[in-house]
Formats: sequence, structure tokens, C-alpha cells
Amino acid sequence: MLSYAGPNLPHDLFDATGRNAGPLTWNIDRAMPAADRWLESKFAPWTRSVVQDWADGALDHLEAVVFTRADDSAQRLYYYLCELRRAGSIKGPEPLMLDIAKIARASSVARTEAALRQLGERLDVDAAALSAAIAQGNATRRATTSAEAGTKPVVLIAGSPLPDARLHRVAEAEGWSAIGRTLADEWADRGPDVDAAGDPFAALARQLNTRHLDTRGFTNRAEALAQQARDVGAKAALLWLIEEDDTTVWHLPALRAALEDMGLPVLVATRRDWSCRDGIDLEIAAFLQGVAA
Amino acid sequence: MSAATTNQSGQRSRKDLACTAAANAYQKQFGADLKRRVVDDGEPFAIVQADTPHEIFHVMGIPIITNQWWSAYISAKQLSNHYFEVMAQAGYPKNSCKYCSLGLACTLANDPKTAPWGGLPKPTVLVARMTCDCIQHVFGQWADALGSEFFPMEAPAWEHKDPRWFAHSKDQWEQVYDADRIALAVSEMRDLIALLENRTGRKFDEAKLHYLMERINEQEGYIWEAAQAIGTARPCPVSIAEQMPNTMIPQWHRGSDWAVNHAKRFRDEVMERVASGAGCATQEKIRLMWIGAGVWHDPGFYQALEERMGAVFVWSMYMPFAGPQYIREVQGRPMEALASRVCSMNEVLHLPPWMNGWMTSEAERCGVDACVVLLPPENRLSQSGTKITAEALEKAGVPVLMIDADMVDAGNWDHDRMVGLVADFLVQRGLA
Repeated sequence: MLSYAGPNLPHDLFDATGRNAGPLTWNIDRAMPAADRWLESKFAPWTRSVVQDWADGALDHLEAVVFTRADDSAQRLYYYLCELRRAGSIKGPEPLMLDIAKIARASSVARTEAALRQLGERLDVDAAALSAAIAQGNATRRATTSAEAGTKPVVLIAGSPLPDARLHRVAEAEGWSAIGRTLADEWADRGPDVDAAGDPFAALARQLNTRHLDTRGFTNRAEALAQQARDVGAKAALLWLIEEDDTTVWHLPALRAALEDMGLPVLVATRRDWSCRDGIDLEIAAFLQGVAA
Repeated sequence: MSAATTNQSGQRSRKDLACTAAANAYQKQFGADLKRRVVDDGEPFAIVQADTPHEIFHVMGIPIITNQWWSAYISAKQLSNHYFEVMAQAGYPKNSCKYCSLGLACTLANDPKTAPWGGLPKPTVLVARMTCDCIQHVFGQWADALGSEFFPMEAPAWEHKDPRWFAHSKDQWEQVYDADRIALAVSEMRDLIALLENRTGRKFDEAKLHYLMERINEQEGYIWEAAQAIGTARPCPVSIAEQMPNTMIPQWHRGSDWAVNHAKRFRDEVMERVASGAGCATQEKIRLMWIGAGVWHDPGFYQALEERMGAVFVWSMYMPFAGPQYIREVQGRPMEALASRVCSMNEVLHLPPWMNGWMTSEAERCGVDACVVLLPPENRLSQSGTKITAEALEKAGVPVLMIDADMVDAGNWDHDRMVGLVADFLVQRGLA
């Protein structure tokens, strides 16, 4: 079985292996001495859990784990794990890198296609198997339905990917419906349909290269957030960024302005703890109570 | 001979070499000339990261402003804190990476009265390799603010992991750096050349690049020769406080007549000091390695323990890097040889196995007794690889001290406290 870590990955190719165990998971509410030993402080928090699991042998049942280059922490972690295995400091599955190139340029699309072919060869996936998986994956994409609108006012949570639904629950306790993507949501996102005509590796490369869902995507994030706020009918918004965020921080002024230009009340919380044990629950509750008043 | 450089936020650094003053004087004149060309005369120019192919611009005669150099220039004008505050007032969190964003901050401030040179005019293009999560966002916004265009370059994954890359990079660069990664970089450089030719009317000549590459090899050869001498000489003839400017100032002008001649002059002065037995310290007892960017706001830090403890910083990355990462046998393919230089310039310094492989080897080559590592708390790229490298050095018998500090932000830096930290560490580890 194989697993993966990071956003913007080729789920159709993983499915085509018949050995897809799904994404790695994380537990950050514990001591992680292996992470303390090898990882520096600015790594995304989920990487700490992965390193600890790797060192503890909790991933030994896996044959390989695929990391994406479309996320800096993920690609950096790949090199660390390779070196730690080489040095004999850890064992566990083989780390693999999928070299996704994000620049909107023909050479980057070609690079991604070559990387997909290499990964396909490594995982014994040929064009026919990938085509079949893409067809099935597209059907899954079309079958995915949006949640129906509820009666509660909606607070949009944006910024860094959330660890889980713990902030959703804080909002819900105040009588709000929270919409915000968790890291698991981002990793599980299959993206738009993959072109089913022509070479499947080339089609998948085009899809990955143009997707915006990752730290390396080229897109107008403020426009996208404003559109999302309109789509979900947000009545308030939380811009929540963790200490380790190196991406959204550069768009914070534009994100905030886009939401405020829509007339939305916005709570901005920066340099926060991914585990949410820094009092953010009380701040959200007070904010939502103020908006509702 | 001694001279002194003033730094308001740190301590003075002593200068033992005559060529150091010459390098600084040249760079000062270069700054004035660059301002005249891009601000006063309105020549087309580019803003580029340090790890991009500067050689293309040199061949085309297009002036470049290197982001890291511009940041240092802003810092030297004592404007860093002002611009950090500008970013905070604009709504950027205070923990955003500062090393690469000072130039963006200067542009966003839009205050010609305060800005060096009155601020930068619109460049033809901005160029950066995507080596971290920050840089494409910083350069993208900077390009928007200047009304220009951002030309990103990929930092592709590197499958060929040779911890001893430095032993083969000069002549086996196609194997060391992966042929397909080199091909991608060449393709991107050709796109960049086309953009520059279209926008500026200036032409790229591959024969000129070939000549420039050979001149760069000559220049880096002098630096590498001096680096080897410093590694074996006892006492150390030149502290890293002087290795850095005599390597990096010519590096910004690599391949030019001045740069080649200066490298040769530097080599000669180092050799003279080796021959005469001149050392940084009166009695050298401890040889130190510095891992990380230079602490630009306190150059005197590196020499503070020379007399007190005989502790001399003999190694930082800048000078020995000239050998393995710059010298290239051109092999009739200057574009590919150049691509092999730039396509991993950052990776070898910040990722295992290249970083730890090279630095442990260098520690052994230079007879290093202990190492001090800079760990900037808010910069993932600059932090990267440091813990694994520290562990490798310790395993090789080199004690390591890691200090939380930033290379451009003097906010959490106190000269006496930092010097004291190093002194205490050397005592605790039985070296002093």
C-alpha cells in the first residue's frame, strides 16, 4: 500500500495502482521528540507528526509515500526523510517525490508530465490503467455535491488550512455555521475534471499545473476568496493564519480588503497555534457574539 | 595593518587586507554608477534573486539589481526597521520572512524622500527561482507594485542525491545536477533571453557567454585556491569578516575584468599572509565554522573572541562555495554549464544530503574545532537543513552551537550577549 502527503496530487494515478491507502494523517496533540530533533521551527506543523510516526514505525506497513513539490514543507520533508533513511536514523516506507511544476509555461507542464510518467512507472501504472482511473475519478468528481444551505448565518474561515473541525465547532456553539477547509480537505481535493481524451499522463499534467490549490499556485487569492464568500453567503469572516504560514501571509492585506469591501465583519488572527490552544476559541466566540448583537 | 568599518547596530570589524578596502570602494562606485544608469539615465534593468543566472544579463549588458544586495543596501542606510514597520502598517504579519522582502517594502512605502535612490523605477522584469513558499508571492506583488512583470523559474526536484556532490560538480555537472533539471533550466533561460531581447532590443550572444564562463572559472579558481590555503594554514590568515566581502563583491560582478583581477589580488594577499605566518589572532587556539548568512548588522561579532580566547571564525559558506558551485568545465555547452550552476545553488546550501555532506567535509578540510549555526526564527529557507547538519557535525566530533537570530533584523541581537553565548559554549564543550 502507498500513501501521500500534500495538496495538488494525482489522485487518479494513486487509484490506478489499486494500492492507495489514502493520505497520511496527523496527531499534533502529543510529544514529538523525533520532530524536535530533526525539524526546524518553521516547518508546517503536520510534518512534525509525520516525522514522529515515521520514526516510531507507525508507517512501516506502507510501501511508499508520495510527496508533492507544490508545497514547500512537503518537498523539504521528502529530502529530510530520504537522508534520515540513508543515515539509518529511521526506517519505514520509501519517500517518493512528485515533481509538480506550477509555472504557467510549456516547459513546466512538460516537466510535470515527465514526473507523472516516472511515478507511474515506479508504481506500475500504465496509460490504460490511468485512463480508466481518470474516467472513474471524473465520475466521482461529478457525483460530489455541495452541502445544502442551512438556516444559520455562515462564518467563512480562511487563511491557513485548519487542523480539523475544532474551529467549526466553536462557531457552531455560537449558533453559526462555519465553512472553512481543513488540511485534510485540501489534500483530498481531486480538482476539476481531467481531460479524458488523448494521453492520460499529459492530461493529468495539465490539470495539476493549472490548479491553484497549493502554496505554489499562481492565482488572485483575494478575488477567489471574495467569490467564495459570495457563494456561501457569508455574514462574517475569520482570517486565521498560523505561525508557520509562509504563503497566505503575503496576501493578508488583499484578502482582508476584499472581505471588508463586501461589508463583511472580519476577525484577523495571525501567528496562531495550529492546535488552537492559544485562546482563539474565546476570540471567535466574542467576535461572533459581537456580530450577532 | 588594521582598518575599521563602522556599523551602528553592531561592532566594528577589523580589516587586515588592503584589498578589502579596494573591494568596498569599488562596490560604492558601482552603486553610484548603477543608480545613474537605472534611475538617472532610465536604462532598462532587472531585479533578480542571487540564485538566478546573472550571467545572461552580464552578456546582454543589462544592469541588474540583486534583491539581496538591495536589501543589504537598505540595511546599510539604517532603514530596515522603518520598512519592517511599513509592512506591519500595511497589514502584513510581523513574522513574515524579512530577508527577501525589504525591497518590496521599500516600493510599497512609496516614499521617494526616504527611499535609497528615491526608490527603484520600473524594471524590465523581476526574476526569481521558486525555492521557497514566500518568493513567488513577494516577487509577484513587487512586480505588480512596480508595474512590471515577474519571470519565475522552477526549482525542480533533485533525485540524484550525492552527499559528495562537491567532488564532482566541476567536471561531471550533468550527472551531479541531473540532465533533465539542467535541460529545464536551459529552456527557461532561453525564454528569459527572448523576453529580454524583445523588451530591450539588446541581443544575447552565446559566444560571449562562453567567454564569460571561462573568465568566471578563472576568478573562482583564485578564490578557491585561497580557500584551500586558508583551510590548511595555521594560523588562519584571514577571518570570515574579510573573506565575505572579498568573495561576494566580485561575485556580484563575476567574470568582469575587475572581478577577475580582484580575486587574483585577494588570493595573492592571502598567500602572502600564509607565507609570513600572519594570523587573525595573536594566538590561535580554536577554529570556528559559521553556518548561515552573514550577520550583516554586526560584522565585528566574528572577530570578538580572537584575542580573548584565540577563537577564530575560519569558515563561512561564501568563499569555499566558489569552488564547487561556480567552477564549471564548459565542455562546449555554456548554457548547460551555466544552468548546472544555478539550478541547485540554493539546494546545496539548505537541503540534505548536499548541505550536511559538504559542510562536514569542509569542517574536516579546515580543521574546524566547533561550529556556530544561525537559526533565523522566521525564515524556513534559512533554517532548512540546519538540525540535520548540526547532528552530522556533532557525529564527526565538531561541537555545534545554534543561535536564534536574524541576518538582517537586529531586533533580537545583542552583540555582547551573542559573543557571551559563544564564549560560554566553547568553555562548556571543553575547548577553552
